[in-house]
Amino acid sequence: MRFMLLMIPAGYEDAPPGAMPDAKAVAAMMKYNESLQRAGVLLALDGLHPPSMGARVSFAGGKPKVTDGPFSEAKEVVGGYWLIQVKSKEEAVEWAKRCPGSENEVIEVRQVQELADFPPDVQEAAAGFSELQARSGTGTHS
Amino acid sequence: MRVMVIVKADESSETGVLPDEKLLTEMGQFNEELVNAGLMLAGEGLHPSSMGARVKFDGKKRTVIDGPFSEAKELIAGYWLWQVKSMDEAIEWLKRAPFDQTEVEIRPVFETEDFGPAMTPELREQEERLRAQAEQLSKAAKR
Repeated sequence: MRFMLLMIPAGYEDAPPGAMPDAKAVAAMMKYNESLQRAGVLLALDGLHPPSMGARVSFAGGKPKVTDGPFSEAKEVVGGYWLIQVKSKEEAVEWAKRCPGSENEVIEVRQVQELADFPPDVQEAAAGFSELQARSGTGTHS
Repeated sequence: MRVMVIVKADESSETGVLPDEKLLTEMGQFNEELVNAGLMLAGEGLHPSSMGARVKFDGKKRTVIDGPFSEAKELIAGYWLWQVKSMDEAIEWLKRAPFDQTEVEIRPVFETEDFGPAMTPELREQEERLRAQAEQLSKAAKR
């Protein structure tokens, strides 16, 4: 099973453009990342720039409307994520608990949908998605 | 640059209502366009928050709260990772997505070079090794 660990740092919704994580916190997090990798569970990980550098598109009535960040109504935002492969939700939660998180942080653990989780008719309608995923690149980081 | 395109949850995604054939077909076509344009790095949907959990940190203490997180106004239903040249390019692509009523957020992803001199050669080497190994595992998991 694949799970997403979503890091939600309180206050990140108001962070200015170019805000960087603290070097000490990064060093502690790298040790944690290493432990995930050594255990063979780490599939992907990324940090996200603050919402002030992002944008939102809403589709009321199917018509796209763009709003530049920051988003004043946002109470909590994602600061980064890990994608892990584990045997159960309990194991995913155990990994989240080992993270060197600080008091202002919450990790949300969410299971990723696999094609096999859907009923046969939906699987059929979504046929080709796995193939698309396989064709999608991973890792041109530029 | 890479961007994460975050699709917000709504009542139907949170109650586990599955997309109908029309939406699946339209979304399939959109995904196909993304792949053909060489943009799509990843794309996943998440199960409702009722199947998830949250972990809160306080010193050494950890508190686990089981989902659903009804108090959270902005839950995530799924995401893409796209390789684009600019935020504008990402926004233009997103505008073409077959959504109705949904809100979607685009966030630039931290790249190694964003950290400047704080990213020492040793840290860079560690980071690159982690990513290479994670990618290998991820490819194996897709098979």
